[in-house]
Amino acid sequence: MLKDITFGQYFPGDSIIHRLDPRMKLILIVAYIVLLFVADGLFSLLIGAGMGVIFYALSKLPWKLVIKCIKPIMPIIIFTAVLNVFFVEGEPLFEWKFISISEKGVLTAMLMCIRIICLIAGSSLLTYTTTPIALTDGLERLMKPLQKIKVPVHELSMMMTIALRFIPTLIDETQKIMAAQKARGADMESGNVIEKAKALIPILIPLFVSAFRRADELALAMECRCYHGGEGRTRMKQLKLSGKDFGAALFVTLGFAAIILMNMFGPEVFRL
Amino acid sequence: MADAIIRTENLSYVYSEGTPYEHRAIDNVNIEIEKGSFVGLIGHTGSGKSTLIQHLNGLIKPTSGKVFVDGEDIWEKPKEIRKFRFKVGLVFQYPEHQLFEETVRKDIAFGPKNMGLSDAEVEERVLEAAKHTGLTADYLEKSPFELSGGEKRRVAIAGVLAMKPEVLILDEPTAGLDPKGREFILSEIKAYHESTGATVILVSHSMEDVARFASHVLIMNHSKVAMYGKTREIFKRVDELCEIGLEVPQISRVFAKLREKGYNVPESVLTVSEAKEAVLNLLKKGGEADA
Repeated sequence: MLKDITFGQYFPGDSIIHRLDPRMKLILIVAYIVLLFVADGLFSLLIGAGMGVIFYALSKLPWKLVIKCIKPIMPIIIFTAVLNVFFVEGEPLFEWKFISISEKGVLTAMLMCIRIICLIAGSSLLTYTTTPIALTDGLERLMKPLQKIKVPVHELSMMMTIALRFIPTLIDETQKIMAAQKARGADMESGNVIEKAKALIPILIPLFVSAFRRADELALAMECRCYHGGEGRTRMKQLKLSGKDFGAALFVTLGFAAIILMNMFGPEVFRL
Repeated sequence: MADAIIRTENLSYVYSEGTPYEHRAIDNVNIEIEKGSFVGLIGHTGSGKSTLIQHLNGLIKPTSGKVFVDGEDIWEKPKEIRKFRFKVGLVFQYPEHQLFEETVRKDIAFGPKNMGLSDAEVEERVLEAAKHTGLTADYLEKSPFELSGGEKRRVAIAGVLAMKPEVLILDEPTAGLDPKGREFILSEIKAYHESTGATVILVSHSMEDVARFASHVLIMNHSKVAMYGKTREIFKRVDELCEIGLEVPQISRVFAKLREKGYNVPESVLTVSEAKEAVLNLLKKGGEADA
C-alpha cells in the first residue's frame, strides 16, 4: 500500500533527453519558462508549444504522462481561463446584462492556458527524465557561485540527496513496524478518526526512534570515511557537457530567436 | 495428523504480481505442524521463511492456498483475523525496534490490552511474561529506551508472550546478541515451551541451536519446503543438506566422518552431551575401528 507512493516522478529511459546533462536541463527549462512569457501573441506562443512537443517526442515517454501531469492543475487552468474571459476589458464581443466578453479576454484566456500547460509539461519533463539524485547534483553545481556569499550549497544538496535516498528505506521500515504491531493485535482499520490517530502512535514512535538512530549511524559512517563537507571534494560521476547538450542549447536559442522575431515582425492578428 | 495446530494447503504467495518485479516468495507449501512440537525453520536468506511465518498469523493474505489454525481456515472471515494473531504470536527479527511505550510495563501490556482483557488480567499477564523473560520488577517501570539491546529484546519478546499464544513464532530471536544473551533467550523460549506446552516455531541460522532445541526441522529452499521431519531424521541426511548449501551441526559432522572411518558410533549425534556419551561408549568397547 505504501509502496504505491512513487517519489519524484522519474521515468526510466535512455533517450537523448534522459542523457542530457542535468545542469543543462535545469538552465534550459528556466530559459523555456522565460520564453513562454516573452511570447506575446498566439503565433509566437505556438512556436513555444511546438518546442515542448518536440522535447516530449525526443524523450520517448508515453504521451499519457503529459495528461497525468496536467490533470492536478486543471482547476487552476479553468479558473484562470474563466477569470480572463469575463474580466479582461476590451471591445465587447458579446453582452448580456452585466456580463460582457471581449475579444481580448478570450485571447488572453487562450494564451494563458497554453502558457500554463507548457509550463507544467515542461517542468514535469525535467523530473520525468532526471533522477532526483542527478537533479540535486545539477542544482549543487549551478548554485556553486552562491558559496561566495556564504550559502552552504554543498550541505544543502547533501541534505536533499540523503533525504531522497532514505525515503524508500523509511517506507520499508514503516511496513515492518506496522506488521510487528499488527502481530500484537494493533487494529488500524476500524474506529473513528481519533481512534485511528491513536492507532498511529505505536507506529510513529518506533519510526522516529529508528530515523534518529539511522541518522546517527549515517553521520558516524560518513565521518569514519573522513567526510568533512564540500571543500576539496571530488566526484565519482563528473558532469561533462557534450555535443548533445550544446545541441539542445542551440535548439532552445533558435526557438527563442524565432519567438522574438515573431513578436517583432509576425502578423498583427491574435496579439495582446 | 488429527492434532495439527497449523496446517497449510497449497500455500503460495507472489510479490508484486503482474509487474516486472514479480517474485514468487513461497510456492505450494503444504505443512502440518503438530501441537506442542518445537519446530526449527531453516533456510537461506530469501528462501521464503519470513513470508511463510507471516502467513501463519494472517499478516499476509496468501495469493492462493489456505492456512488452518486449529482446524479453522483463518481467512474464512477476514474481519476476525485478529483472533488468530493472538493465537499465533509472532516475534519479528530485531523486535526491539517496535517498542514505543513510556514504560516496559505498558509496552508488554499492549498486546493483552488489544485482546480486550480486564485490567487485572492484563497486569497478571504482564507479570507472567516478565517472569518468563527474566525481567525483574524494577525493569517494569523503566523506559524501554534506556535498556541495553539484549534487555530490549527480552521486553519485546515478553510483549508477545503476554498474549499467551498457543503458537509462538520467532524470527531469528538471537540475531545480533552476544553468546550470553543468545543462551538466555533460547533457554527462556525452551522454558516457555515446556511450561505452557505451546507450539514453537524458531527461525534460525544456527544448526547447533536447532539441533539442541527443536523436535522437528523444516527446511525451506527456493520458496519450497525442501525437507520436513523429526530433527534426528533430518540431520542424518547430511549429503542432501550440503546440496542445498546448508550445514549440519558441527558435532553431527564430526560423527558422520567418524562413521566414514569405520568407527561404530550412532548415526545421529546432535548435541555435545550425546557426543560425550557416544565417545565414552566407544572407548569402553576398546575404540578400535571395525573395518
